[in-house]
Amino acid sequence: MVARVAGVFDEKLTEAIANSKILVVGAGGIGCEILKNLVLTGFPQIEIIDLDTIDVSNLNRQFLFHKEHVGKSKAQVAKDSALTFNPNVNIVAHHDSVISNDYGVSYFKQFNLVMNALDNRVARNHVNRMCLAANVPLIETGTAGYAGQVELIKKGLTQCYECQPKAPQKTFPGCTIRNTPSEPIHCIVWAKHLFNQLFGEEDPDQDVSPDTADPEAAGDAGASALSSEGTATGNVERKSTRQWAAETSYDPEKLFSKLFGDDIRYLLSMENLWKKRRPPTPLTWNNLPGKDEPQAQHSGLPDQRVWTVHECAQVFASSCNALQADLKSRADGDHLVWDKDEKSAMDFVTACANIRAHIFNIPQKSRFEIKSMAGNIIPAIATANAIVAGLAVLRAQAVLRGELASCGSVYLRPKVNHRGQLFVPEKTLTPPNPKCYVCAPKPEVGLACNLKQLTLKDLTTAFKDGLNMQAPDATVEGKGLVVLSSEPGETDHNNDKTLEEIGLNDGCALLVDDFLQNYEVRVRLQQEDEEKSWRLVTDSDAPMPGPKEDEKPANGSNGSEEPKPGPSRSRTRADSDSDMEIIEEDEDETTVKPPKRRRTEMSDEIVELC
Amino acid sequence: MVENNEVELSEAEAEQYDRQIRLWGLESQKRLRASKVLIIGLSGLGAEIAKNIILSGVKSVCLLDSEKLKEIDLYSQFLAPPDKVGENKAEASLQRARALNPMVDVTSETKAVDDLPDEFFTTFDIVCATGLKQEQLERINNACRDSNKKFLCGDVWGMYGYMFADLVDHEYSEEIVQHKAVKRGPDDTEKNARETVSITVKRRAIYVPLQNALSADWSKPELRSRLRRGDPSYFVLKILFRFRDEYNRNPDPAKRKADTEILLKMRDELVKELNLPVGFVSDALLTDVFGIVAGAAAVVGGVIGQEVVKAVSQREPPHNNMFFFNPVKCVGFVELYGQ
Repeated sequence: MVARVAGVFDEKLTEAIANSKILVVGAGGIGCEILKNLVLTGFPQIEIIDLDTIDVSNLNRQFLFHKEHVGKSKAQVAKDSALTFNPNVNIVAHHDSVISNDYGVSYFKQFNLVMNALDNRVARNHVNRMCLAANVPLIETGTAGYAGQVELIKKGLTQCYECQPKAPQKTFPGCTIRNTPSEPIHCIVWAKHLFNQLFGEEDPDQDVSPDTADPEAAGDAGASALSSEGTATGNVERKSTRQWAAETSYDPEKLFSKLFGDDIRYLLSMENLWKKRRPPTPLTWNNLPGKDEPQAQHSGLPDQRVWTVHECAQVFASSCNALQADLKSRADGDHLVWDKDEKSAMDFVTACANIRAHIFNIPQKSRFEIKSMAGNIIPAIATANAIVAGLAVLRAQAVLRGELASCGSVYLRPKVNHRGQLFVPEKTLTPPNPKCYVCAPKPEVGLACNLKQLTLKDLTTAFKDGLNMQAPDATVEGKGLVVLSSEPGETDHNNDKTLEEIGLNDGCALLVDDFLQNYEVRVRLQQEDEEKSWRLVTDSDAPMPGPKEDEKPANGSNGSEEPKPGPSRSRTRADSDSDMEIIEEDEDETTVKPPKRRRTEMSDEIVELC
Repeated sequence: MVENNEVELSEAEAEQYDRQIRLWGLESQKRLRASKVLIIGLSGLGAEIAKNIILSGVKSVCLLDSEKLKEIDLYSQFLAPPDKVGENKAEASLQRARALNPMVDVTSETKAVDDLPDEFFTTFDIVCATGLKQEQLERINNACRDSNKKFLCGDVWGMYGYMFADLVDHEYSEEIVQHKAVKRGPDDTEKNARETVSITVKRRAIYVPLQNALSADWSKPELRSRLRRGDPSYFVLKILFRFRDEYNRNPDPAKRKADTEILLKMRDELVKELNLPVGFVSDALLTDVFGIVAGAAAVVGGVIGQEVVKAVSQREPPHNNMFFFNPVKCVGFVELYGQ
């Protein structure tokens, strides 16, 4: 099977295509377009992988899917549709996550080229590592609105996807979310946290009640608030929001009165907060603004109309009831997962965010706008995807021809630049960053943390979220002692111990590896008393990612998927009132003698935490 | 001009077009829904343009082609199924084109452009022509112009492609984003509270017809200076139009060697005629101009599709007036000719 018409390409390329095997990761906006181009061009062996199913909002650009396919596997339908263009090619579809033991280094090695058409950083990082490990060239693509880019990644020749630290994810201090919101997004984040507290997976970092540990509130003022109820943890001692809600049978009126009345009055008692801010106004259920107002004339989509507070309260009540019924119908211990495309979940967040915004005198937003912000939606259009996928397949042809040196990154600009360019190619390849903690010959990175506070469980999170590992194993350098094992049960008993308690200290180096990614990195621990969580430190000046919250997908092609949630940045763990538990040391547990102290320089910025 | 449709979008439309309404706004979507588009030439490029425009949610699309589907079309033309070789290209493309978006009215026209009166073309809001000779393009362009209708044309030869736009006298709005520091209230000291404010400005662009753009006078100093920073793509287009005119066909993959020689000879003549620097139009640009490469059709079809959306929605500055894709450098750029 060759490119179908002789003479379109020169003989060299015709033959290279005929002998090629390509992996396409992602069957979304760009993936559909790439698959079409490959199939038409006559690439004979293609595998495509996507874990997602088809949604109606995909249909404006993911043209291999039609209305009757909604709910079906993207990979499978993409394959079936593409085969009708050219039945002579061989396509294997996987309805699966690419992050899986089934797709290890040997799987990647069978391909001449991998083409990424992904919408999230986690999967991009993973495929980057797999291609480095398998030494297979990778063409990385992405679009956002009118803009896009195509980049070749080849081990040793170009920079990898992780050579340059990506901008840290936007995070908000916990006290801003819980006590002093000033932007609509603060209220939206709070509303999503509230959803999880009431119906979703309860996360202590997503507390929605007033935060008495707010340093701003400390001092004399707020003493009244702190007097009897305050505890060492900084949280008001009371039942969990979920438990309280359950005991009141999720009565919307009672919930409303607590969340938008009592809690706000409590915040008002923390007087220091309001010395230079406009204080919030508590609401009462029976006296809400907008009740008797005639509905204002509205043009545009129904979702683009901003609801009155009274309407918000109505929607709050009805969505609460619907969500509670949903939760009740599930097995014990099961919970809801917030989804912007679930009507009640989206209604609930819209209503709560707007009620809170009203209380704090923050502009209210329409359901349409809140959906964008809460769901991290990146607009997506057919044309930008078509252009980027077209460029990607032209680049694939050049790679197969062996012309890697000519494959500099190409940027699709939303508007032409000063030289009139709409697609701007880089003239040369960008060489690898020798200090990259992923693709350098001996990868190394610093981890700044307070060893007295960071637990082994937090360390695992740092490896997973910070270093994007899937199943990290860690040993102490030079000792070979296992600190962390990806085998369930092997080191879990240490999860709640601090790093100091398990014998790790400043300057100590860990060898951390991920078997699946065939990736090992040396991690230097750096003691920082002030660090409340953890932070990666490299030799570059750019800030490295820390723990994330409400992250935005990087260059999402779909724009619609929220990356997996990370730990909360809104965690408030002041030095003096840490909620860390002290555990008695078990005798037969791995204790590690610290190696010699090493000084490590730091050049990193600290992300502000209140 | 596209009439403004004040009827609100249905729930189904709002759902399906959600991700693009979030980019170009509801008003643009309503304008799109009111516009009628003619696509001439159902090659791989025509199929790409049709796909992009049908997905965007216009009112109607007419696919015009008088030729039969050939084997060679199949490696870029994905709207016509392989088993319809021998049938009319436009008709063969109908079923799949309609399936892309049942909310768009898709029809076909099998007459040749030379057999259709000027009035046929001007019943559409915008015409996109591909695969025609320069003379045919100019005729349709002028007919559209006389009726104040918008005209685009483009082609892909191998990996190379171009687009030309004549939007006549085009008014559009452009959103400009400004950052400004804001304070929430008189007593708010929250630092760095910044808000992006977007203001919409009205603009106007005047276009010239195709014959002006293609007869640019290269002896003029302002054009000569373009040669210095220049990209030779404009001349590649001139050569390919001459080839099409003279041989009544495109360069043929089956005659790759012979046709390359002809193209290089035509190049040498043009270089002499316009007194271009020797070596300016490299051989490399004229060796990959056979057939229609799917990737290039996707690229150029994407650009043309987006220009149609911009033109009929009257939002964002459209390209004025020529776009070229140079596959050797993988650069895509816009230049103004003939003004």
